[in-house]
Order: sequence, then structure tokens, then C-alpha cells
Amino acid sequence: MNIYQPHLMRIQEITDETADTRTLKLEFKDPSVAEKFQFSAGQFGEYSVFGEGESTFCIASPPTRTGYIECSFKATGKVTQALRRLSVGDTLGFRGPYGNHFPLEEMKGHSVVFIAGGIGLAPVRCVIWNVLDLRDQFKDVTIIYGARTVDDLVYKRELEEWAQRSDVKLCLAVDPGGETPDWKGLVARIPTAVETAVTTAEDSFAVICGPPIMIKFTLPVLAKLGFPGERIYTTLENRMKCGLGKCGRCNIGPTYVCKDGPVFTAAQIQELPQEF
Amino acid sequence: MTQRFLSNAGLAALVTELVAAHTRVIAPARASDDPEQIDYVSIHKLEDAAIGVRLPRRSLKELFLPPSEVLLYYRQTKDGVEIREVPTKAPPQVILGATPCDVAGLEVVDKVMGWDYRDELWFGRREATTIVSVLCTVMDSTCFCTAVGLGPDSFRGSDVLLVPVTGGYLAHVITPKGEALLQGHGADASEAMQAEATAAQDEARKKVEPNLATIPAELSGWLAKNFDNPVWKTIALRCHGCGACAAVCPTCHCFDIVDEHEGADEGTRRRNWDSCQTEKFTLHASGHNPRQTQSERFRQRIQHKFSIYPSRFGEILCTGCGRCSRSCPGGMDLPKIVGELIAMSQAEPEVKNQ
Repeated sequence: MNIYQPHLMRIQEITDETADTRTLKLEFKDPSVAEKFQFSAGQFGEYSVFGEGESTFCIASPPTRTGYIECSFKATGKVTQALRRLSVGDTLGFRGPYGNHFPLEEMKGHSVVFIAGGIGLAPVRCVIWNVLDLRDQFKDVTIIYGARTVDDLVYKRELEEWAQRSDVKLCLAVDPGGETPDWKGLVARIPTAVETAVTTAEDSFAVICGPPIMIKFTLPVLAKLGFPGERIYTTLENRMKCGLGKCGRCNIGPTYVCKDGPVFTAAQIQELPQEF
Repeated sequence: MTQRFLSNAGLAALVTELVAAHTRVIAPARASDDPEQIDYVSIHKLEDAAIGVRLPRRSLKELFLPPSEVLLYYRQTKDGVEIREVPTKAPPQVILGATPCDVAGLEVVDKVMGWDYRDELWFGRREATTIVSVLCTVMDSTCFCTAVGLGPDSFRGSDVLLVPVTGGYLAHVITPKGEALLQGHGADASEAMQAEATAAQDEARKKVEPNLATIPAELSGWLAKNFDNPVWKTIALRCHGCGACAAVCPTCHCFDIVDEHEGADEGTRRRNWDSCQTEKFTLHASGHNPRQTQSERFRQRIQHKFSIYPSRFGEILCTGCGRCSRSCPGGMDLPKIVGELIAMSQAEPEVKNQ
């Protein structure tokens, strides 16, 4: 089997997150592959619809939940639109897991602040559940999540679940104008929400994913709170084809996002040529 | 390593013997569409070949990384999808009369194909191939192989290197594969033949060396530190972004992966050559593009070849064949550009990244 050949997966469940964003729950068709499959939070895969092509997404479910993986995607291009046409029971291809991962071991014993915008919650959600499934090994867990409008919030059922938990501090926000009459969260952009919800960087790691503009304006807030660049983790989402360090398109200077990433610290990103 | 004399008749006999044994023999030959041009093609007898006439218009790359290659066959069935694998083991083949720059390019690309994940499609063909190169005597003003540490008589990647001498070739037998190929062929090389070969090799090197001085090792670090140098804004003004340079390059290996539906319920997944010079290469689904201008894309090409690849793999991603300059419709001249960058790196204080 050559390295570009995917495993076959069957769609177990489809959840519509928003009007254009969908989550697929997938299981390997070959039980021997399922048994051996392991990954870490932050790793990604190449998902394919045969006849349409491959697309790169993170694995959005946590490694603590075995027997399936989930991916969440927005129908934007050829492959994602084709993925959207699939039904429960249909087959798709999966190669992976690829890339590095979030430093869960290093984060143990510390507090974690999760910050996500829009569909950027997908990679963060993987780490959130990884941490919550091992809850007693971490200190405070804070989740700050925002989207343009209430309709754009993804994983709504899980947001409710996190809101119910006493061991999670959840702060939801929508952009001004995106609120509904019964909206109980903040009406603010993410940097403001972070300023409101986080008071200290002491003994804490930050995990942040979202649109580049959101990250750009949130990093100074985190720095002001006292987070050193080495304790702020994010992911880079460059266009990829192989995911294996061969096809030559995801690099930022000498850094291959597929091999050296997709998880980077804010300090590492600052050192990269500004071409992403 | 040993030297042996192979007469013209002896080389012809070797080709005939290989072909009779169903080994594919590939050599430079006059292109079927243009007798002025040379292509690497399958030959049946030595007379079909045109060795040492001029540099083939395309490199050996396509024999190992085809322009469009099937990665898998799929078929949609009642119960889902069936995948048929492609074989990774290739039939034996011998390449005869290749130029040393093209052969060296294969070894340079081996590094990226082999790190961490091993590309068995590439290595399947590499391992099945025995390569007999020939001293290059067809260089022109765009060649600069000596500047990248190679040369018209470079052994790099070759199993045998032939040097034309009176009545035939002096064969430098470099690897066990080369030994195996020439077993039972050729005769002892006399001292006179060896001297004749050495003189020919020296003469060939002297023809290329003036085109570009050796690229200093410091260029890689200078390029890395000069990502934001204003030179990139003007250096690519003549570039159309057509990607011809990548297609003819022996070391450009970037590819795309696409599905081709062929019929109602079946098709192939393929990898196709791609080029960092096109706009779509890095375009995100959101519409965001990290490399929006041609100058950014050309910077990537230069950085990849002369800084990124050296820093990751210890190799310049260029064999100095000059094909990019020859095929560029905009007249972009790589050795000239690299020469200018070297001069800048040696003259200017470094410009810091912003």
C-alpha cells in the first residue's frame, strides 16, 4: 500500500452545526485498521470523496474517545461540497494522522485557556474534550468561544454541556449585530471577551484557533495578561495536498506546516517569515 | 571503482543483449516531433540513440515522477468503494547516455521522497533502474553545474559514467549495480585511454566553470535572513508565472493530487506535476492566499532551491542544467539571478526580517 492510499471509512452520523458547516462521525471499515489507529490532539488527516478529491482537516474528536473520529467542515470548495452530499452509511477515504500535536503531557497539572472563533473551534474542541476526559489532571479550564452571529456558533449541544459543568468556565460571544433577542452571552469580539474572562496567565497555557485576524488581535491581549509566547499554542492551516512533506506547498520559509506543524507556539510563529 | 574500455561495438552489443532480455533501455534520441530536439525515450538498438548531441529538452525526472501518475484506482459499488492498488515494484530498466546533471537530480530528490514517509512509487523505479551517464560535452552559456558542486563528469547518482575516447568509451564503473551491468563486457583500459579521458573531463569542466562561480555555502543563510529584502519585488518582474521552469527542472518535484472520474462509477486518483509559480498553488478555500504576487511566488522558488532545501536536506535543489533559463518565455535567467544574489550577499549588510 503506497503512502497516498487512504483507508476506507463509513459515515456513522451526520450533524449539521450551522447552515453550511457539518460534522461527520466516521468509523474505519477495516476492523484491524480501527484497532491499530491512534492519534494525538491537533493532528490532521486527508479526507476524500472518490471522484472529487482530497481535503485537509483536523481530527475534531479527542483521542480519548476511540472507535471513531469526527471531522467538521464548511462546504466551500469541490471536495467539501461533495462531502456534504454524502449520507449516513456512505464511504469516504482517510489518510492520517499527520503532523504534530498539542503538548497535552506538558499541559497536565496546569490551567488551560481555550480561545476559538467560528469553525476554529474544531481543532480546539479536540483538545477541550481531551482535557475534560482527563479533568482531574488539569487545573482551571476556561473556554472562550465566539462567532459572527448566534447561528454561526458550532457544536451548540456541547456548548450547552460545557455551560452546565461546574468545572468549566465558559464564555460565549458574538460580534455586535450578531446577537438574538434571547442571547445571554457577550456581544463582543474575541479579544474583548478574552479581556473580560481571563484575569491571570499564572500557571496557564492558552490554546487559540480562529481566523487570522482574530488571532492577530488576541495575541497582544494574551501577552498583556502575561502569557509568554511559548505557552500560547495555535494551528496553521495552509493548503496541503500530500500531508507528508513531499508535495511542496504548505511551507512557510523552511517550516513545513504538515510536518513541523500544524501546532505551533505564538513564539515560533513570530520567528517565521510573515507569509501565511 | 574500476575503469574499463567499452568499444562502440561493445556498447551496441550491450544494448542488444539488454533489449533481448526484455530490459527497457532508455537513451537520448531525436524527438519524434522535432529532430532538432532530444528526448529520453526507449530504444531497441544503439543506433536509435543520439548520445552527446545536445541536452535533452526534458530531464530524467518524468521517468521516475511521471507528469501524471495513478496513485490508486477506485470503483463505486453497492456497498461503498473498492480501491485497487497500483504496483510499487517497477520492471528493470537501464538508462544510457544521460547527462550527469539529470542523473544527479534524482539523488537530490531522493532526500525529500525518503524522509520520514517513504514514497515507494518513486523508490520502486529508482531501485529498478541502472544508470549509465556520459560525460557532458553539450554545455552552453546557461549551464552552471560546476557552481552547484556537480560537473560535466560528476559521478553523482550514476552507476557507470562513460567518457568518450578513441574507438569507444572509458567506463568509470561506480557502483555494484554498474559492475553487474558491465559484467562480461569491455576490456581493460590502457593508461593512454585513461589519460585521454582525464583530458576530456578537464576540458569539459573548463567549458562550464566560467558561467557561474561556485555558489557559496553562506548563500543559504543569507537568503533565509533576507526574506523581506526589497530585491524580491523587482527580481521577478519578467516572470509570467507559467511554470515552464518547474516542468523542465530535474529537481522540481511539487505535485497536486486530483481525482479523475473515468466512466460512470470508477476512476483514478492521480498526482500531477504542479508549480509554485501559479496562483492557485497556495490558494486557501477561504480565498486567502499567502503568496499573492508573482514576486512572492518567485521568491519561494529561489528560497526553496537555495535556502530551504539546503537547510532541511543539506543539498541545493538545482543541478545547474540551465533548462529553466532556456525555456523561460520572459527571459528569466537563473544563473544571472543567483549571481546577483550572491553579489548582494557578499556586498550588503543583511536586511533583518520585519
